[in-house]
Amino acid sequence: MTEKYIGKRMTRTEDPRLLTGQALFVDDVQIHGMLHAAFLRSDYAHANIKSVDVSAARERPGVVAVYTAEDLGDFWQHSPALVPAPHSVEGVIFHSRTTVPLAKDKVRYVGEAIAVVYAESRYIAEDALEDIVVDYEPLEVAADLERALEPDAPLVHDDLDSNLASHLIQNKGDYAAAREHADLVIKRRIVIDRCAAGAMENRGVVAQWEEKSQYLTVWDTTQAPIPVRNGLAGMLGLSEHQVRVIAPFVGGGFGPKIMMFLPEELLVPWGAMQLKRPVKWIEDRQENFFATTQERGQIHDAEIALTKEGRILGVSHSFLHDTGAYNPYGLTIPLNTQSHAMSAYDVSNYHSDLKVVFTNKMIVTPVRGAGRPQGIFLMERLLDLAAKELGIDRVEIRKRNFIPPDAFPYNHEIIDQAFAPLMLDSGNYRPALEKAAKMIGYEQFIKEEQPRLRAEGKHVGIGIVSFIETTGVGPYEGARVNVGASGKISVATGVGTQGQGHFTSFAQIVADQLGVSPRDVHLVTGDTAQFHWGTGTFASRGSVVAANAINAAAKGVRARILKLASKVLEAPEEELELQDGYVRVADAPQRSISLGELAVLANPLRGAVEPGSKPGLEATDYFGPQYGATASGTHAMILEVDPETMMIDIKRYVTVEDCGTVLNPLIVDGQIHGGVALGIANSYYEQLVYDENGQLLNASLADYLIPTAFEIPRIEIGHEETLSPLNPLGSKGAGEAGTIPVPALFAQAVEDALYDYDLEVLEMPLSPNKLFELIRDQK
Amino acid sequence: MKLQGEYVFDGLREEVWELVRDPEVLANVLPGTQSMNKVSDSEYEGKMHVRIGPVGGVFSGRVLVSNEVPPETYTLTVEGRGAPGFGRGAGDVQLLDQGDGTTLMKYEGELQVGGKLAGVGQRMIETVSKSMVRQGLESLNKALQARLAPQAEGVESEQAEYKPPSEAEFAKGVIKDMAAGIAASLPSVADIFSSEN
Repeated sequence: MTEKYIGKRMTRTEDPRLLTGQALFVDDVQIHGMLHAAFLRSDYAHANIKSVDVSAARERPGVVAVYTAEDLGDFWQHSPALVPAPHSVEGVIFHSRTTVPLAKDKVRYVGEAIAVVYAESRYIAEDALEDIVVDYEPLEVAADLERALEPDAPLVHDDLDSNLASHLIQNKGDYAAAREHADLVIKRRIVIDRCAAGAMENRGVVAQWEEKSQYLTVWDTTQAPIPVRNGLAGMLGLSEHQVRVIAPFVGGGFGPKIMMFLPEELLVPWGAMQLKRPVKWIEDRQENFFATTQERGQIHDAEIALTKEGRILGVSHSFLHDTGAYNPYGLTIPLNTQSHAMSAYDVSNYHSDLKVVFTNKMIVTPVRGAGRPQGIFLMERLLDLAAKELGIDRVEIRKRNFIPPDAFPYNHEIIDQAFAPLMLDSGNYRPALEKAAKMIGYEQFIKEEQPRLRAEGKHVGIGIVSFIETTGVGPYEGARVNVGASGKISVATGVGTQGQGHFTSFAQIVADQLGVSPRDVHLVTGDTAQFHWGTGTFASRGSVVAANAINAAAKGVRARILKLASKVLEAPEEELELQDGYVRVADAPQRSISLGELAVLANPLRGAVEPGSKPGLEATDYFGPQYGATASGTHAMILEVDPETMMIDIKRYVTVEDCGTVLNPLIVDGQIHGGVALGIANSYYEQLVYDENGQLLNASLADYLIPTAFEIPRIEIGHEETLSPLNPLGSKGAGEAGTIPVPALFAQAVEDALYDYDLEVLEMPLSPNKLFELIRDQK
Repeated sequence: MKLQGEYVFDGLREEVWELVRDPEVLANVLPGTQSMNKVSDSEYEGKMHVRIGPVGGVFSGRVLVSNEVPPETYTLTVEGRGAPGFGRGAGDVQLLDQGDGTTLMKYEGELQVGGKLAGVGQRMIETVSKSMVRQGLESLNKALQARLAPQAEGVESEQAEYKPPSEAEFAKGVIKDMAAGIAASLPSVADIFSSEN
């Protein structure tokens, strides 16, 4: 029996290179004669630019060029919108305002680029920034999300009547009518603030223009190398085959690295072409706070209507979404919130009124979770409050409302980020909830342990919440699989890799199709010269869309192997098997040929190729799902709060994930670990604090607290496997699942721990200070 | 950020007024000041080196005096910009004759900072600003004493000669103020805890 690799807990083949410093990151690219770019960024959140004087900077020895918006000529244009308006929603209002390479007349957020310096070293480039004199006329600032919509608020974009970027209402059933019949209506205000992605590697771009071959090579920490290649070619007036974009190893994406055509990604290649010298820009840690996009600011006025048995009759919420100074990413995030607010529950009546608001703050684009944590927080919090009010157990109220397993595919009817009504392809929510409850010992904790600990004066609480995550959205990905003369397999795919273990899990898929070891499968990701069709790594789609494209291409190669081997071995295809790098006649294993030899035969130097056949053992294929595959799960935790210091100690953390077919449990575990860490960060540590003037007040890792290994508990992981019917592998994404339910879980556990304070946690993130204030205000 | 407080000068109101309206004196007493030039009777321009925690650099700025009612009140508007960001503020200063040869200064204003200064210096900025004001006023009082001493004694006195604080001395002063701030906040934290239990 051939060993199967899909589902195997394999260590990652890319790790030896990563751990010994042999993996190429953008900052490792060194080219002779390379210049270094630095950007002058606005200190004002909102100001008119009266003049920019770069004369002294140009005089500084070692400076090669300094450009402002005026110097860019025709290259100065608004970047294309990455995501258009969802026209499938009736009556949607959407004002698209995208970024420019350098601010011209006005700056709209602290950090907006005004000028770029190219110099012989980064030191010189940064010194030259200090030589530039900008004459600003400070303007009133629209920083506060609610105040920005008031009639007298300063306008972020002067050509609009207000700061309303978008308005969109979605309905399912009739909430108002359902509310009439409710035994209980709970109404609350929910506030979620901003966070950063905080990738270990900041952004970076290196570009080299070869004048003689008229060829541009760009190394970019992007999550979407192919769209960057296509966009750059268009903007620079080149054909696509003149531009190669390489996303080498990238130290964490988490969303902001999907954001295309911020100034640096444009002006590094453009500068390289103008100056005919390679150019490098590497964002530094501090710059990251002012130059890289953020997420999560939303305010919801939410309501849930229930029967006295705890059955949900309907949910309604009006919410404001802070999109920052521009909205290049469209409505992806708030649409995720809208479509996830009903989560895993059978809700017949739903009303959601979304207003997106321009503010004088950093641009908002997805950060791991991308609007989903807000939707889940809303639903889970309302359910918790209802359970308390109705005297129903928290686990029980969830069970009573889950979409039953025989109701799939289930239509939530709310247009989501894919611009179609959210259809849940498959799911079975109750087993995951029961398993998580069992793993953490929910019953026993509530009945025995907690009363005993409370009697000792301890504040120990338990939380348990469920969630869904839409994953694996289209449009498509592709891959090319090839068998070399050495018998090794090459795989090229368009998605880039930012730590997801693609080199291993994708190799496992190919290994199963071709009967080789995954260690003999060599993968190239994120290099447009190797494969140039595709979209990118985002929305938890790699293990669905790219994996199934690779599976399809490997299947194509398998068919060609069998066809040729059948001729060579003089045996029918169905009697052949692929094992250990050989094709064998199953009943006569001595009759065999290695894949390498077969590859040579498939690409002969002499003789005639049969008409209609193709050379080589190679196949290219694509996969585009009908719609997304929806993952789900339950998280549970036990934590202790010290009511004197408000410091928390997470005693247990349990997750049960259902991401369909688990390609590699070790890699899924890793995704969950990282996701939960960000979720905990979003609950108690990481919060970007802006003042009323749009100034970011904690722009350093001394003040913006990223939790470390000390703050992240050991995580116990269980799995359920409800296969997606939408793709041959049956897989669903797992990239964001770890993050999404954590704030809701944390809030529930904290309330439970501080039972004697009768606390309601309706905002995130918390912190020791804020928890202290909440309790003080409660008194 | 609000800046407000009081300070008692050992001198008559007219003398204090003359002092605070003299750019040369101000350049001497404000820590880190590299230059201060009079543009008009009510406007000064200058350069000042400011360091707040990890952020530091030279700021170019201007000071405007308005609503002047000598020797009682005036409004001070300050605006400065440099590589680490910007600061701008406005405040009202009031001088009150205490009738015993001393003058009470009351000040109240708002300070706004931006850029790295706000983003990275945030945790220190309040203490540093308050310390700058405190040390500046102390220096001003010393300068006043130095100015008055020769008149009083009728002779040049070595001891009375005013020496502005060095940047190191200033930094020491900031640390002192910070420590004092922490110490002052401790009992209140304890109060909160005892009321909790």
